[in-house]
Amino acid sequence: MEQQLDMLVDKVVAELQKKLTEMARQTGHPKEQKHDEAAAHETAGEEQPVVAEEPVRMAQVPHPKWQEGLVELLDSTPARIGVWRTGVRPLTKTMLQLRRDHAAAVDAVYGEVSQPLLDEFSLFTVETQYDNTENYLKRPDMGRILNDEGVRLLQERCQKRPQVQIVVSDGLSASAVDANLRDVLPSLMDSLKSYGLTCGTSFFVKGGRVASMDHIGELLQPEVLVLLIGERPGLVTAHSMSAYMCYRPRKGMVESERTVISNIHRQGTSPIEAGAHIGTILSKMLEQKASGVKLVL
Amino acid sequence: MEEQWIKSVGIDVGTSTTKMIVSRLRLGRMSSTFSLPRFQIVERQLLYASPVHATPLLGADEVDAERIGAILRDEYKKAEISLSEIKSGAVIITGETASKKNAQHILHLLAERSGDFVVATAGADLEGVLAGKGAGAQKRSQSIQGNIVNVDIGGGTANAAFFYRGRAIATVTFHVGGRLIRLDEQGRIQYVSPHIGSWLAAKNLYVQIGQTVTFTQIEEVARQMGRSMLDYLSGKERKVSGLLVTGGHLQEVLPIEELSISGGVGELMRTPQVENIAEVSRYGDFGPLLGQMLRHEREQGKVAFRWTEPEQTVRATVIGAGMQSTEISGSTVHIKPELLPIKNIPILKLELTQEHMNEPLRLGQEVRNVYELGQRLFGESGGIPFALALSGIGYCSYAWLQLLSQELSEQYTTIFPRSRTMVVVCETDMAKALGQALSLRCKGVPEIICIDQVRVEYGDYIDLGEPISGTIIPVVVKTLAFDEQA
Repeated sequence: MEQQLDMLVDKVVAELQKKLTEMARQTGHPKEQKHDEAAAHETAGEEQPVVAEEPVRMAQVPHPKWQEGLVELLDSTPARIGVWRTGVRPLTKTMLQLRRDHAAAVDAVYGEVSQPLLDEFSLFTVETQYDNTENYLKRPDMGRILNDEGVRLLQERCQKRPQVQIVVSDGLSASAVDANLRDVLPSLMDSLKSYGLTCGTSFFVKGGRVASMDHIGELLQPEVLVLLIGERPGLVTAHSMSAYMCYRPRKGMVESERTVISNIHRQGTSPIEAGAHIGTILSKMLEQKASGVKLVL
Repeated sequence: MEEQWIKSVGIDVGTSTTKMIVSRLRLGRMSSTFSLPRFQIVERQLLYASPVHATPLLGADEVDAERIGAILRDEYKKAEISLSEIKSGAVIITGETASKKNAQHILHLLAERSGDFVVATAGADLEGVLAGKGAGAQKRSQSIQGNIVNVDIGGGTANAAFFYRGRAIATVTFHVGGRLIRLDEQGRIQYVSPHIGSWLAAKNLYVQIGQTVTFTQIEEVARQMGRSMLDYLSGKERKVSGLLVTGGHLQEVLPIEELSISGGVGELMRTPQVENIAEVSRYGDFGPLLGQMLRHEREQGKVAFRWTEPEQTVRATVIGAGMQSTEISGSTVHIKPELLPIKNIPILKLELTQEHMNEPLRLGQEVRNVYELGQRLFGESGGIPFALALSGIGYCSYAWLQLLSQELSEQYTTIFPRSRTMVVVCETDMAKALGQALSLRCKGVPEIICIDQVRVEYGDYIDLGEPISGTIIPVVVKTLAFDEQA
């Protein structure tokens, strides 16, 4: 009896999931989908990083008293509102969505940045002393220091004392880098070009924390450094990236000396606009010889 | 920059009265320090409101520029404000005055003399929208579900604007106003506006110059006029009442939840009862009766909508012009401060869809179509032929940004080789990236001004002010026509 019931539940859940994905396909961000296809055409032959699609949001309230008002509310927040209920519990649909988002967040932490993407921007990889992901999560301090091999690579391959140093790191979300680097980085390069700023040798740090900027700063001594790093994933999005910027990074910097633009993803801070604005902030840092709370924007 | 105040003036030259106000607008940062800067006008304060002056006229069809100038000089002095302090604002010529002989000339003269970035506007649609904003209808519409109509009734015209959830969705203008029929204290008719002739005839009402009317006769005309206007708005009857409409008609019947009446006649709805010809002709016209009759309509409550009190009556339009006409652009934009301010640029719209994103050829064709339309409409000069408004772009990737900027810049330099400045207005937050991509391609020929988070429509004109703190610019969108979109 119990077995039968279990089977029945499994069947229903599978059916629902199928419907859910179909729905997402039909009403999902068609622009982005198509666009991704177009981009795939342009760079055919290369392996594309898989970027999970953001779930479609719609109200589940069956007969809303005021449809337009509900839509307005939904548009005003990414929070899970208007989800309706069955008895005192959420709908299966809502639960599945939540679990899916949670799984995406976990995947983002444990995932790896696509190698072809790094190759596309000629980023070589150095590692911190993080060792493995479990250890990375438990020992943030080890993600702040490059390992010996990393130090050697930087000294060998990087230009010393550049005006601008760009560093990319997976941080807590590899998929954030996969999703946004292709938009943020070239837009940032354009911005540097229009401000007439020069940039050293960019690279990728695996298992990096924000304060790895300090160690890199000691090694390369750039005037300003920008670190594009995956943010701790949440249930709204797992693809959010931050840009931490610092004037003359060095050991012993305090957090208030860093400037940050966070929440860079398709539904948040526009990736191309963020890239362009990072250039503006860097040029102001160079002008004012300051960063963080001392920087006047 | 965390916060800043800017001063803004509004000047309203109407058929019967002229007023001005001074206000200040507070720009506040709406985003956290971890996001891209985003500023908004968070507060609008009235600093000074002039008394209501009679509009000086030279004869019947000319506005007296000299005397208006003198009134303003005087008011600026009383308000203790110097021209250099004023960063934004609008001069508006309203009602029948707008069709007077030298209106355009005066408008621009006043705008020039009123401060660096005070724009000149006219047009019944804009006037209705500004009055609706000044009367508080727009703000109120955000807190209810249905449509709110504000009708601003002045001397020459009544401008109705429909608001839904904070947006102006339709406007209509009537030949309904206090000075359309003028009479002396004996009840002798001095003037009847030719605009209402056909409506009077259709209603079997006889009012002629030189005729002496009784209180009951003129009361009936005022009652019918008020009723006709309300019938048109509610959609009850539009055949005869439509004779009062000037300009575009409403395409459909829009359900109304609330109605307010502002303007001089709105004010007269609140004054004590008039009972004889001598009291009616207090201002030499039938305005007091028109107000009284509208009040009766309200008291009888025969209409399907709720009546509400406007926040402003006589000064609704001028307050709208001074306090509500200015918007600000997004804070991450691409500008050249030395090229600003720029005034009176027509908008051309480029609506993009996913097809354009997939097919570069179609995008190219679409851009060419819009540019060629611009060439036909505005010619090809060394200045700024138009501002290109981009909409329909959701998420924009870098690859697509390149494609777009390539098409936009290449064709622009081919079709408008002598233009020295290209102006682009984006709906979504992408102006800095797009402006940068365009200028890397154009290398200064033409210069690029690219702003965002301003919503404009085809047929609008736009004025861009000087940057505030180097990053944000005040923008005045002058909406000219609603009916074309409907």
